[in-house]
Amino acid sequence: MIVEWGAFFQVLLATLIGACGVVTLYSLGLRLIDSDDVRPLRRAAGIVCLVLCGLVILYGVYLVIPFFHQG
Amino acid sequence: MHGGHATVRLPAVDITVMVVLVIVLALFFDFTNGFHDTANAMATPIATGALKPKTAVALAAVLNLVGAFLSTEVAKTISGGLIKEGDGGIQITPVMIFAGLLGAILWNMVTWLLGLPSSSSHALFGGLIGAAIVGAGFGAIDGGVLLSKIVLPALLAPLVAGLVAFLATRIAYSVTKKKHRDGFRRGQVFTSSLVSLAHGTNDAQKTMGVITLTLIAGGFQASGSGPEIWVIALCALAIALGTYTGGWRIIRTMGRGLTEIEPAQGFAAETVTAATILASSHLGFALSTTQVSSGSVIGTGIGRKGASVRWRTAGRIAIGWVITIPAAGLVGALAAWVALGGLAGIIVDALVATVVIGGIFIYSRRNRVDARNVHVEPTVLVRPKKRGKKNKQGLPR
Repeated sequence: MIVEWGAFFQVLLATLIGACGVVTLYSLGLRLIDSDDVRPLRRAAGIVCLVLCGLVILYGVYLVIPFFHQG
Repeated sequence: MHGGHATVRLPAVDITVMVVLVIVLALFFDFTNGFHDTANAMATPIATGALKPKTAVALAAVLNLVGAFLSTEVAKTISGGLIKEGDGGIQITPVMIFAGLLGAILWNMVTWLLGLPSSSSHALFGGLIGAAIVGAGFGAIDGGVLLSKIVLPALLAPLVAGLVAFLATRIAYSVTKKKHRDGFRRGQVFTSSLVSLAHGTNDAQKTMGVITLTLIAGGFQASGSGPEIWVIALCALAIALGTYTGGWRIIRTMGRGLTEIEPAQGFAAETVTAATILASSHLGFALSTTQVSSGSVIGTGIGRKGASVRWRTAGRIAIGWVITIPAAGLVGALAAWVALGGLAGIIVDALVATVVIGGIFIYSRRNRVDARNVHVEPTVLVRPKKRGKKNKQGLPR
């Protein structure tokens, strides 16, 4: 039995970074865009977080579609 | 029949009839695959009210349809190395594929009736293994591949997803305050959609592979060529239709039966499911979507303070996973054994399967689950009322 532990830990690490990254960005976005605190800088930072989160999800769509990365 | 070292004793039924039968069965398997797996993407947004049940399954169906057209590359072997195919191994004949598909379909129907999320690929592999053992003996199975590609990943998938979902849930709850958390509902739509799209690109492809390899084996298509456009279209339609039908029983188990899910948890769970599937399919360590998705839901249940995980339900799901391959294998083996009788055997197989599937469907109407009552807590669902030996008849004897 050959277990590719290297590949497994890569998957674990990638999942950890990807998922926790998206959840952190989205949570920060929700926290910063607060109807009780409308300082423009805070709001802008919140929007940046949501946009970054959206980009990561778009990267996921890119990965799902083979056309984009297999010739 | 085909040459090779271990010539299969299965009969030479008219090849055209066999190929047509296999295509019909493969499409039906694709359909069960669709309704079995709707829950992976859509159970959590339905549970939190991020999407209405009907909207959720419609969205998932469309994304599966699109996904199926996006990814049409077919695997070189039908069993991914589980069965020693080709040079020095056995030739997987259409009759074996027929028997294997029967095993997979019946197991998918039984687990659907019980509301258990279980891997459709494992059911297919199990059915094929059973049929291959009858056709060519135990030597046809590569035990090492079985362990390293199926058994071990099945243990690791829920662990990885569960651990990461636990952490992600903790992050979501520590960063946000209660008043912000409704915003996670909107995010859930996106992450669940990504899971659905990934499912469409992955799973419809498997059925395309089965049909294409059968057409090649039957001499209807050149060896090494890709799936025909009608095969792609039919597979895409079958999986989308199955997804739209919605395996409501499984959706209920995943969305309500394992733990109470809040929007932040649903978001975290689907994000982890998407990330795990993407990472595993791109970094060469394949994990089952169903097992990843169940692991995420459990992990997020542990991660929120005040939430509790129903371990008995989780335990039943785990038992379902353990017996998926043997159970589908047993049915596949029986079907292959009956098919040894030639055309008559195959007709018997087809009739028995039709009766059993019809019976399961009629039995399911007694305790119906659909878009309207999907939010009700599943108390009897995972363990339907015992009525004599009725349940045992789920497997043909």
